[in-house]
Formats: sequence, C-alpha cells, structure tokens
Amino acid sequence: MNEVCFKNLDKENPASFATYEANGGYKVWRKILNGELTPDEIISELKTSGLRGRGGAGFPTGLKWSFMPRNQEGQKYVVCNSDEGEPGTCHDRDILRYNPHSVIEGMAIAGFVMNATVGYNYIRGEFMEPYYRFEEALKDAYKAGLLGKNIQDSAISYDLYTHLGAGAYICGEETALLESLEGKKGQPRFKPPFPANVGLFGKPTTINNTETFASVPEILSRGGQWFADLGVENSGGTKCFSVTGNVKNPSNFEVPMGTPFSKLLELAGGLKEGRKLKAVIPGGSSTPLLPAETAMNMTMDYDSIATAGSMLGAGSVIVMDDTTCMVKTLTRLAHFYYDESCGQCTPCREGTGWLYRMLQRIIDGNGQEEDLDLLLSVGEKIMGNTICALGDAAATPVESFIKHFREEFEYYIQNGKSMVEEQHNLIEEAASV
Amino acid sequence: MISNEAKKEIDFWVSKYPEGRKSSAVMQALTIVQKENGGSLNPDLINEVADYLEMPVISVQEVATFYENYNHKPVGKHVVRFCHNISCMLNGSDELISYLEDKLEVKTGQVSKDGLVSVKKVECLGACVGGPMCQIGDQYYEHLTKEKLDNILEDLT
Amino acid sequence: MSEIEIEIDGHLVKASQGDSIISIADREGIDVPRFCYHKKLSVAANCRMCLVDIEGVPKAQPACSTPAANGMKINTKNDKAKFAQKAVMEFLLINHPLDCPICDQGGECELQDVAMEYGSDVSKFNLGKRIVPDKGIGALIQTDMTRCIHCTRCVRFGAEVAGIVEMGGTGRGEGVKIEPFLTEGIQSELSGNMIDVCPVGALTSKPFRYEARTWQMNAVQSVARHDLVGSNIYTQSYRGKVKRVVARDNDSINETWISDRDRFSYEGLNHESRALKPKIKVDGEWQETDWQQALQFAVDGIKNNAINPDQLGVLASKHASLEEFYLMQKLARKFGSENIDFRLDQTQLSTGSSLESSINLSEIESVDHALIIGSYTRLEQPMINHRIRKATLDGASVNTMNSKNFDFNFKTKCDALTAPQKLLSALQSVLKAVHLKTNQDTPNDVSDVTPSEIHNIIADDLIASANGVIVLGEHLNSNPNSLAIINLIEKIASATNLKIANITISGNSHSAEKVNFIPSGNGLNAISMFNDNTKAFLLMDVDSEYDFIDSKSAQGHFSKEDVFVVALSSFENQSTLRSADVILPMASFYESSGTHINFDGLVQSYSASVKSPGESKPGWKIIKVMADLLDLQGLDYVDSTQVKEEALQSSKVKSSVDEANIQSIDDSQVTTHWQYAPYASDSVTRRAKALQESNVGMINRAYVSKMTAHKIGLSDDDLYLGVPVSIEESVAVDCVFIHTNQARRA
Repeated sequence: MNEVCFKNLDKENPASFATYEANGGYKVWRKILNGELTPDEIISELKTSGLRGRGGAGFPTGLKWSFMPRNQEGQKYVVCNSDEGEPGTCHDRDILRYNPHSVIEGMAIAGFVMNATVGYNYIRGEFMEPYYRFEEALKDAYKAGLLGKNIQDSAISYDLYTHLGAGAYICGEETALLESLEGKKGQPRFKPPFPANVGLFGKPTTINNTETFASVPEILSRGGQWFADLGVENSGGTKCFSVTGNVKNPSNFEVPMGTPFSKLLELAGGLKEGRKLKAVIPGGSSTPLLPAETAMNMTMDYDSIATAGSMLGAGSVIVMDDTTCMVKTLTRLAHFYYDESCGQCTPCREGTGWLYRMLQRIIDGNGQEEDLDLLLSVGEKIMGNTICALGDAAATPVESFIKHFREEFEYYIQNGKSMVEEQHNLIEEAASV
Repeated sequence: MISNEAKKEIDFWVSKYPEGRKSSAVMQALTIVQKENGGSLNPDLINEVADYLEMPVISVQEVATFYENYNHKPVGKHVVRFCHNISCMLNGSDELISYLEDKLEVKTGQVSKDGLVSVKKVECLGACVGGPMCQIGDQYYEHLTKEKLDNILEDLT
Repeated sequence: MSEIEIEIDGHLVKASQGDSIISIADREGIDVPRFCYHKKLSVAANCRMCLVDIEGVPKAQPACSTPAANGMKINTKNDKAKFAQKAVMEFLLINHPLDCPICDQGGECELQDVAMEYGSDVSKFNLGKRIVPDKGIGALIQTDMTRCIHCTRCVRFGAEVAGIVEMGGTGRGEGVKIEPFLTEGIQSELSGNMIDVCPVGALTSKPFRYEARTWQMNAVQSVARHDLVGSNIYTQSYRGKVKRVVARDNDSINETWISDRDRFSYEGLNHESRALKPKIKVDGEWQETDWQQALQFAVDGIKNNAINPDQLGVLASKHASLEEFYLMQKLARKFGSENIDFRLDQTQLSTGSSLESSINLSEIESVDHALIIGSYTRLEQPMINHRIRKATLDGASVNTMNSKNFDFNFKTKCDALTAPQKLLSALQSVLKAVHLKTNQDTPNDVSDVTPSEIHNIIADDLIASANGVIVLGEHLNSNPNSLAIINLIEKIASATNLKIANITISGNSHSAEKVNFIPSGNGLNAISMFNDNTKAFLLMDVDSEYDFIDSKSAQGHFSKEDVFVVALSSFENQSTLRSADVILPMASFYESSGTHINFDGLVQSYSASVKSPGESKPGWKIIKVMADLLDLQGLDYVDSTQVKEEALQSSKVKSSVDEANIQSIDDSQVTTHWQYAPYASDSVTRRAKALQESNVGMINRAYVSKMTAHKIGLSDDDLYLGVPVSIEESVAVDCVFIHTNQARRA
C-alpha cells in the first residue's frame, strides 16, 4: 500500500522538499536536465506502465502525451487539473497536501516531453491549505534551481504557476477548466478541436489530473514495467481510492489496481456495527451504483468494475449501508447536478432541473406513478446529447438507482414516505420496547 | 474602491499569465475585492474590476455570477459553508445543518442577527473522508459533531 | 483544402476537408434543424438541435461543430438522429412559454417552425415553467427573456460582429440569463440585428410591438438609402403603412446585417408632421388647396420671380433618387438655369464630382491597413465600418487623423488628434515624410515641412502597407480647405500605392453626381446661390434648418419677400413653413420607385413598398408635371424606368485637380466642428421616434480638451452653442467637437 503518490505519507514532513528529495524525488527531472532521457523514452516508459488518466476518463497517459505536436513552433502548455470536486473524491487534496513535489516534478517532466515551457496547476478555490502547501513547494523547487528559465544551463525552461478556482464543479471538465483559466465562465468547449491542438489561450495543451502527474516521477524512476506489474492487466499500477460513506474509518488508500473491493472495505474499517452493505458507488457520484452483492464480487480495476456494470472513475468509493434511503440519496445527487450544470447546452440545462424537481416532488409526497418512467426517459434523452459528460453524469445515477432499487421509489410515491426509514424506525422502536 | 493593496495582489495574479491575458486573473481579482468588501460583491466593484483588467463589464459579471464563491448580497463576518453532498449526507450533515440553523436562529443563506455568521449549504468541498465537514474562511473543519460545532462557533469573534 | 466525399442521407456529396456537416447539408438543401448555428457567427454547438447520426460514432453528433471527413456516412433523419432531435426539442419547450398568440415572433419563429416537425403534441412536463424577469435594453429592442432559449446568437453577434460586448449569459445552469450588465440600453449602432438573429421572440423590435402579425404583412424588396452602402432590405407593411424593416441577404453589400438607422428609420414615415395636402402661402397665410392650383401657383411664382432663367436655383437633399435628381436637373437646364446642387453641407465646392473611390465594399475587409481621416466610421457608415472591423480581426492595423478619438469597435494603433484647422499642415507633414522615406522628389508645396514623430509613424504604416486604404470621411466637408486636403490625400495615396475610400459623401450622392446635379459653366452652387440674383427656388426634401453648412444664410435668403420658394417635401418643417411659398407633399422613402447608386457604383432600383399618405405624390411625378406646366419639352416620361434608363446614360464631370486655392487660417484660433449624430442625418430619420430615443439617437455633446476649455472659458455641462459641454482629453487642442442631434448653429 501507498507505494507511489502516498509513498512519503508515513515520513516526517512528507510535503517538504527535503523529504521528497531524500526519497528519490527529482531524480528523474535531474536526469532530464542532464540530457539523459529523451521525450520518446519517457512516452514509451509511460505506455509500458499502463498508467491511465486518474481523473475519471482513464485515457492512457503515454498515448495522450504522444498526441501533443511537440515539434510545432510556438507556446504550448501543461495544465494540471486539481479541481477535485466529484462527490466522494478527496485524494488529490491529500496529494497536494502531502506530496506536492511529485506533482511539480510530474508536470515539469510533461513540459519537457511536450516541449512546453509553462504549466498551470488549477486548484479549486476552496483548497486553500493545499494551495499554500503547493505554493511553498513551488518556492522550494525554484529555490533549488529546478524550475525557471534555462534550468541549470540545460536549455530547458519550465515555469509553473497555480491558478485558483472559485467554486464550480464543471471546471473539473478539462475544457471548462481551460475556459476558466482564461478568465471566463467554466463552460466546456465542444470537440474537435481537442486541447492537444487548440487548448489554453488557443495553444496546444495537455491536461492531466493531479494523481496522474504525481505518479509519473515514480514510474520513470522505477520503470514502467515495475508500475504495470503492481496492478493487473489493462490497469497498471496503484490507484488512490477515497472510501467514504457508511464505513467506520473513511479514508484515502493507495492500493494496487485489482485489489478486491472487500479488501478495501476492510481497510476502511468495514461497516458500522450491525449494519449491512446495501450498495456501492465505485467511482464517484457520476458512476453507476452497484448493489452490495455485485460490489462484493468485484476487484478495483477498470475491467472488473466495468464488468460489474459501473466505472472506476476517479476511484471514489461511496459505501451505503442498509439504513440509506435511496430516494433521498438520489435526490441529493440530482440536486448536485442541477446546481452544477453550467447551463450552456439544452439537454443538461433543462433536463437536470426536470430530474431534480421530479425527485424532490416524490420526497415531498407528491410523486406520481408515471414519474419513474418519466425520470428514466428524461435521463435517456439527456444521455449522449450534451457537450460534456455532466449530462451523462446526471442521468447515470437516476438510471442505476431506479434500476436496482425501484421498489423503494414506488413505495415512496405510493406512501409519501421512505420505505427504509419506515423499516429502520420500526426496528428502532422494537429495540426500544 | 479597490485599494492599492488589493491592486498589488491582483497584479501578482496578472503576472502569471501571458501578455494580453489579464482577464485570466479575473477570478482572483473578484475574490480579492470581495474579501476586502466584507465578503460580497456589488455592481461598482464589478465595474472597477472590469476597468482594472480591461474587460467588458458583462464578461466580469458572467464570471461573478457563474462561480459559487462570489456573493452578491452582504454576508456574515464568517460564512459557514456546509457540505451537504452524498458522503457528508451519509454521515449526518443534514442533521448538523439543522442544528446550526436552530442554534444561530437563521436559515441557510441568511445572516445571524449579530451579523457575525451566515450559513450556506454548498456542494462537495472535496474532503469527503472527513465528512460531515464545513469550511469557514480558508479553514476546513472535518468529522464534525454537535459538540465540535459548538466549540467552533464559540471561537468565532 | 483537400476535396473529400461524404454520404449524407444517401446522397454522395463532394466537400472540402473541414467543412461542417451543417454547411454541407445547407448547400445540398438537406434540412437540419438548428437554433444556435448562424452562418455568420462562430459555432457554439449549445442548442444541440442539429444532432445527426454518423455511422460508427456511438453518440449523435452536432452537425454544426462536426467537421466532415472523407468517407463519413451521415444520416440526418434516421431513428437515432430523430430521437436526439426530438429529445432536444422537448427540453427546449418545457420552459418556453405557450404565448405564441401574443408573441411578435409568431409566424416567423424558428422554434415554432421546428416544433411543428419535431415537437410532441402532448407535454409530459407537468412542473411550473421558468419565468425570467426582464431588464430593459433600450428603445429599439423589446426583451421577453422568458422566451429565451439561450442559443447565445445575440451574445455572439455583439462580441463578433457589433464589436461591443454588451449582452452576456449570467448565472449558470437553469438560471442562466441572457442580459446586459447595464440597464442604460444597448450602445451598438447595429443592435437591431440581434432581433434578426434571435430565433425566438425573446428579442423583438420595440417599435413594431403588437403592430401587426408577421403573416399579415406585405414584404417588398427594397434598398436602404441613408448611407452610401445601399443595404438590401425588406420593407414589411400592413394596411398601407411600413411596420418593419428587416435585412435582406446580399453578401457583397450588407452580408446579412443592416444598421439600426436603416432598420428603424421607417417610423419617421408615420410622423404627425407629414405633408399630406398641397399648400400655398397667400398674403403670408398658409392655405390648403388642390394639386392643380398648387402646381399652377408654383409655376407662376417661378416664372414671375425668375424673370431671367438664371434666377432659378434648384436644390435637393442627397437622399433623393436617381430619377428625381435627373428630372430636377433636366427641368432646371431646360428652363435655362445651371444653378443646381445637392452638396448642401460642404464648405468648399468643386466644379466636378467628388474624388473617386478605388476599392469595393467587399475588398475593404481584406486590407492590411487603413488610415481614417475625418470620420467616425462606426456611426457614420456602419456597414463600411463593419468591413474595416473585419479587416482588423484579420490583423489589419488602423490609424486615424480625427479631431476627436472616437469609440471605434476595433483597436486603433495610432491616433493623430488633429484639429480641423491643422489638418492641412498635418497631411503636408505626412506627405513629406512619405517622400523622404521613399526617396521621392519633394514638390514645392511641402518642401519646408519637417514631419513630426506621429506623422512619421503614419507614413511608415502607409509605406509598409501592401494592400491598404485611406478612408476620407464627412468631417472633411466642413473644413475650409477641404479641396486642398483631398488633393493632398490623393497624393499621399498615390505615393504609397494605397487605395481610396471616399465617404465624404453619403446617401444617394453617387446618383446626383452621375446625372451632374451640380452647376456647370457659370452656374451657382449651393454656397454661391444665396445672392441677390437668385429669386426663385425649387427644393426637394430640403430642411434649411438642418441641411445647409451655412443655414443662417440659406434661411435668411429663403425668407426674403422677393424670393419665391417651392418646396417638394414629405414633411411640414418649421423651416419650410417659414421660408416656402408652396409645399408640394412628396412621397418619402419606400413610397415611390427609384434608384440608388452605392459606394461600389452598383445601381439598385426599388419599387414602392406602400402608397404615399394623403395626397402626397412621388417626387419624379411632381417634377414631370411642373416641367409640363412650365412648357418645357422632353420631360414627358411614361414611367420611372424610362427616366432611369435615360439618367444612366449621363456621364459625370470630373473635378479639375488643381482648383483648390488654399485658405490661410490662423491655426491658433479655436475652431468649432459641428458634426451631426447619425440619426440627425435626414428628414425621415430625424422623425423616427425609437431611434431618437436610443443611446445613439440622443448624442448631444460639445467635447473640448481641458486646455482649450480653459482658453475659451468653458466648464463641464456649460452650454456651448446650445450643446452641453464635456471636457475630455480625447479632443484635439484648439477644437470644440460638437456631436449632436440638434440643428446646426455654427
């Protein structure tokens, strides 16, 4: 456990330059500065490692980097997506707080590979503690002469800046993030063109997630094959998982890909006394919910979770026990997407509100029988028709919650109250008698 | 009026972006002037930010109304931004928010009578393993309980 | 661009790599529904209505933002495409009000049209609909933002075409509101195009509100006559009145846009001061009469007062039609008078036509450099300015030599603030710099000039330009040395190989010049005509209060006891009532057929859109009958086409180059430049209510620099010649620049 991004977590002052360097940090970057590594070697190593974008989409990182027109003249940019905001996800925050130098080194390496001399780390506006930590790390890296212009006479230049958000989930979408970095509303861009051709300020840009960048130095230091072997086929290496919800010790864990879900649950202390597992959202609120049994049989890697009917996403495991009312939980998620829709394209702007209001009406006791089918049909009409993935993300939980727990929704519509809470109350009453 | 100190701070952000890309600093500029103005923005400030960054004022207004962290009505000296999203909810955030509302005799979105505290329900703040949690100023408060909340409120002056 | 082949709805189609699917479909006549896409605006892909199926792609893709690739198989109407399109339609309708019966867009609403095909009869949406509060955005555009479907065409129009970012989308999600930040109203002179681009009834014409249903109106193709462009329009009338004017596409002229002046001026046609009956002044009292008597009265008056034929003066506004100009000059010349002119607003008059432009409208957008001298192009010639702006978007630089720095909708590189009295020497300095830098011989007239730094910069840019243009604007008209200035500009252009865009003249001036509506031989011009000899006048659409450079002299002369004035006019102006002896009510814009010759020399004819009100008659007919009553031969035309054909046979007289004798001016004196705001340009526009109430319409300021204000003792908000003073550093020293909708007082 904790072999890559969290490898210094148990050390004193894990975020400090000294700790990072003492544990092999900036080794790869210095090699690059000495001219001992070429961009092609790095890309090839990354491809071997099987590292896939940790932000949620899981696109192979080596391949993504190879798309950048590195020999094209003009400015190019590297952007790190630290706008962590997917409900249930908080491991990037810990990487920024406890291992900021790995992000700096990873971004610098990316800059070298892409022939980009400027990088921005977009940190969500609420992450002030991580921001200060990262800024301090940046200062130290500059002081150590590892960043700047013509670094150590290597002819390599790399300047890195932080940018702070101001509260918008959608900015986690890479093109919305670019818009935001340009000082605009965070509204996703349509593609093509892709950021690799037309990105930040209209220039070729590579965007990766915090964890992805943080993984790169260790991969290059210990070899792509070493990383690949940590995981399973198609899912190389380790992955940071945030395990939250109804577990005893909600926490972040970096474990090898392919770790059984049951093991992860155990790491988080298991369920609270007397509770039973009801359902799991394995990859953050935008990924389909899985019933307990399915979840207990899956391992934490791209393929196994896909086979189970969901997605690894950002590795945000939300655990629900048998006291959870699925109607209320879904309504909360629907509210979230409704609240965070940027409003740019029609299906999401109009559809997320429709979904949320129908669900809220059920909770208010005014549900109608046809509402469930209508919810599903509205979801289906949003799905695939929007500019970015937020529309799909809003429709996904609606579909999976109703699919697996339809009777709870029907009960709520018919009785105007929660089936689970009713049962739970009965049990508590019985216990108190 | 944007103070000289605030302008200096805005200039620091402007310096991060390429020539002619001042508008990239607009979010921080708004954050800075909002802080200076006691936690909220007004049309005059939006106009001034637009002038300072040489942006069309409507473009600044778009940004100021798009992002959650800007307030367009006066807020309390301290804003308790309480997460009510799924992981916090599963750990009892709703109950704590009600507790807070009762204790301060406010509804979310309102300012306490003494002007000291306002409460805002917000979406995921990215500290889900610490839920239920809230943010006050730059600080996150995690694993909240009623007792912890009492202590936090007591320390707010 | 390499050629590719794609299949669209079963048709094999050739296209260029990178063409959007929607543009190919449009070309092939395949109907793909859309709201946000507009051929002249950037692609937004936000409405999602144009989703189509591409074989092998799992999700339906927007036809507007998806570039076609070789071998692509596209289906715009199969189940997958239809499902996506209908889904989007449903989402668009859930929050759209069902107020079509009271919506002015009804009948021409893109949403309504598409809903007919893609909408469902029964709504499954049973929640409350969204209501959006309205912010007023001025006198021209009515907002009903509850109807807005957030396509952002208006926002993009502002940012991309108008060049003034005024509308935006505030808030987010369901709460996005399309609105301006300020409530003072829209500033753009092209704002009305937002009405045209709005696919729904969110932005509609304010003066048109509730005036008629779109399908009740009679649309006629016409040509706008306020500026040199001759924008193509449709007039739409109901019960004999023009109710609305909208743009008609013509890529080489106005593309798909028109100026607010062209769009909203029609309101003036329905103004209460319309001249509806012939009137004669008997013993100082006006009395209504019939046409026969009025015409006889007019003809007798002319005969009795112009005992010698050269005692008749004939003047017309620059907005008359080709046919009217032609007939009037023919009448004058047959009568024996050469006292003919339309150049009422110029200080110096040449003996021939104005300097010819050497560039076409559509070429202006490809220049690499423009030097603007004496023009606020944005307000004065909006569509020409639009082409200049397009050039700047492609990287062209613009320098200016104006007496004030104006709010252009593009960035200027170098603004050489120059007071009118210093313009001549400034241009000499530029010419000298050009000569020095290009090793050309220095002619005598500039031999002892030392170019200043800013004039060196201007010269450098002119020399560096491979494909540039010098734009001469109407501010030159009031310059006492305008002819010498224009000569100098011609020399500069020829020394630097630049083209000329002459917009000192406006309206239908090219028609006037075509038929020689200027004096020849010993004829008197619009300045020299006001002498003791000229005893009878025939005026067409002339408002002596506004139109003359020296309105005092003109009005004074017209009012003399022994001067007889026949006014063909669509309005009963105060000035006309004071100075005329006969008012012959004349048809106005859109009320008679005619011809306009535009900047490119393009001849555009139009027919009458509506019948003229009351007893008013088309100008050309009135002239024809008068000629008859004056026993003049050769004016017995059957219809206006005949007049037009004959008129087009005329050939205009060129000016001789060296006629300019330079007036010496004490250039340390403060000069006043009186510049009409754009909506004071002609008799109809001055009466168009909404235009007058708009921001541009209310322009009325005397701008002066601090130093000059001090020199002549002015402070902010003082009245200077009746105009409130603004002290600004954007004005040349020793100059008061008056920009106003008020009648000239200087």
